[in-house]
Amino acid sequence: MKFRDMIAMAVGSLFKRKVRTFLTVAGVVIGTCAIVVMLSLGFGLRQSMENALKQMGDLTVITIYNGNGGSSSESESGSQSALDDRALKKISEIPNVTAVTPIYYLSPSVVNVTCRKKYQFQGMIYGVAMDSLKEFGYQAADGSLPKKDSAVEEILFGSDSAYDFIDTKKKHNRRINRRPDKKGNLPKAYVDLMEDKFFLAVNTRSDSEQDTKGIDIAETDSGTASASKQKAVQLSVAGVLAEDYSKNPQPSDCIFMDISYAKKLQEKYNKLNKIKEDSKSQGYDTACVKVSSIDKVSEAQESIKSMGFEVYSMETQRSAEEKQIRTVQMILGGLGAISLLVAALGITNTMIMSIYERTREIGIMKVLGCVVRNIRTMFLIEAGAIGFLGGVAGTGISYGFSVLINHIAAQHMGSAGAEAAVEAGEAAAQTAIQISIIPPWLAVGAVLFATAVGLLSGLYPANRAVKISALTAIKQE
Amino acid sequence: MGESIIRIQDVRKVYLIGKERVVAVGRISLDISKGEICCILGPSGSGKSTLLNIMAGLERPSRGKIVIGGTDVTRFSEKKWALFRQGNIGFVFQSYNLMPTMTAVENVALPLTFCGMNREKRTRMAVQMLKAVHLGSRLMHRPTQMSGGQQQRVGIARAFIAHPKIVFADEPTGNLDTKTSREVMELMVAMAKKYGETLVIVTHDPDIAKYADRILTIRDGRLLSDKPNHSVYGNKEEQAV
Repeated sequence: MKFRDMIAMAVGSLFKRKVRTFLTVAGVVIGTCAIVVMLSLGFGLRQSMENALKQMGDLTVITIYNGNGGSSSESESGSQSALDDRALKKISEIPNVTAVTPIYYLSPSVVNVTCRKKYQFQGMIYGVAMDSLKEFGYQAADGSLPKKDSAVEEILFGSDSAYDFIDTKKKHNRRINRRPDKKGNLPKAYVDLMEDKFFLAVNTRSDSEQDTKGIDIAETDSGTASASKQKAVQLSVAGVLAEDYSKNPQPSDCIFMDISYAKKLQEKYNKLNKIKEDSKSQGYDTACVKVSSIDKVSEAQESIKSMGFEVYSMETQRSAEEKQIRTVQMILGGLGAISLLVAALGITNTMIMSIYERTREIGIMKVLGCVVRNIRTMFLIEAGAIGFLGGVAGTGISYGFSVLINHIAAQHMGSAGAEAAVEAGEAAAQTAIQISIIPPWLAVGAVLFATAVGLLSGLYPANRAVKISALTAIKQE
Repeated sequence: MGESIIRIQDVRKVYLIGKERVVAVGRISLDISKGEICCILGPSGSGKSTLLNIMAGLERPSRGKIVIGGTDVTRFSEKKWALFRQGNIGFVFQSYNLMPTMTAVENVALPLTFCGMNREKRTRMAVQMLKAVHLGSRLMHRPTQMSGGQQQRVGIARAFIAHPKIVFADEPTGNLDTKTSREVMELMVAMAKKYGETLVIVTHDPDIAKYADRILTIRDGRLLSDKPNHSVYGNKEEQAV
């Protein structure tokens, strides 16, 4: 018997009993809907959680702290505690690690960055692996990120660095605040990061003491004085970084320079002021590691931990939250599954009823030479078709529900969402409103699952059908 | 009359009803030749239907051997029987046993469907067959839209469509009036003659038996007599006129 004929006969008998078929399918529709909608809420929850975390920090970045000697004194393994270049190289060889950079904090007492003599930079100066910035997702708002073959002396300004210059000639209001006026326009800063020339000089101790003691003492010419004492070099500005609150270090009030340059400056400072070098042996305070994808983070994190470093990433938080959400999602899905289970019983019941009614037909088919296997297949097709139809309709309706839920949610959270949009960018706010998400695989999976449930429910009735004796069936009046 | 198509040897069927053993068929041996129109005649409870069911593989004999067309089918499994019936055996039932959800054409084509014949071909054959039983105008009717006689003609078309070696008819006119009965019997016999097929009719009605070439009388599970028809009723053509 041809499979097409079996399908035709199975579907034909479903159509003969329209009302019953419809009711049974409706059961499956409700079951599928329940599961899909419940799971979609879970996915929505997960995504909004991830979005929230993303705003706090890059989920695929691990930060390593060099426990400030703590690890060396208390360490069990001991040898691996120094966060130096060797350790970083080793970390970069961990699978799925795409980039590593040390974060070297250059103390403001070490160097002095000035512009047009009187403007002095007051922000942070970080030494990082400049060629890895791209991997970490830093973007240039102006100019460009340094290329691999760029000169070591190239620097990048943070997005707000222009406002970090103070006018050393003034006594009061030495700083221009980055605060938009009523029209929303920002005030003009003292310097233009891309146009002006910037000079850097290494401080001697006397300057830095003046600096650290307070602005009042250094008021006259702390910047120019130090610059005159040491030969100031002109900096070459590669670009200005785009603002990104999720990054650490945050590219706003700072200068990024290459780690080798920063170290050189520190060494020079140490030499000038006759400070014994100990920074080298301690290694870096902090380093950042970029991992290829979210689900590889915990693995990489464990590897780094096993080397004896203290690590932190959003993963710690994310995995805990995700576990929680998964539990919630399982409970929701479980509730949905109950209704599908009821629907499955409905299918079995319908099929058994149908077999009672069609005992004679089954007998006739057997007498006319229909092989038992074909009869079983036909009943399974019938049950599977009920599951499939229910699955397709249920998934379709679930999409409708999902849209409806999101629409209602968007209206209710409208004002909150708008505020979030201002703070976190429009893209994030748009996704935050989606509290129900049906990924394509869930839709496909739901249809397949419903079909499988149908087939499974049809198994018992189908086996019962084939056991019907041809003789008793045709004797039935 | 030519080669043997059905040969049964020492067939016995015993039912166990409660603790009582009921002998339905007791030690029957017979030979039916190819192309023969044979009637098994007996009152109800004589075991004639059981004998037919055994020959068709719907029931298993307690003892004995059945050979159909040279094949020993005694130990056939259910599946083997089903496949064997597809090409070798046709059925006409007392209560027609048409599929209520199918049209006349679909019903007639059903045995071919089970054989795996494609739709176009089997529909063409079914239409041809229905025309042969004078139902050319009722092709798309369902059983409930037809009279008993029409339904039985659909049944006959279905039995003959696959050109089986043997057609079994179990009380084919049991639910029909005399006139329709005659039409149906004539049709069936004509079809069997036309295709040279063997027809085995089971009935309690001596009037039906007169259409057969050979009449086997059964009583209490035993073969009472086995005679060619003309010795009992004379030639059926004369009777029919």
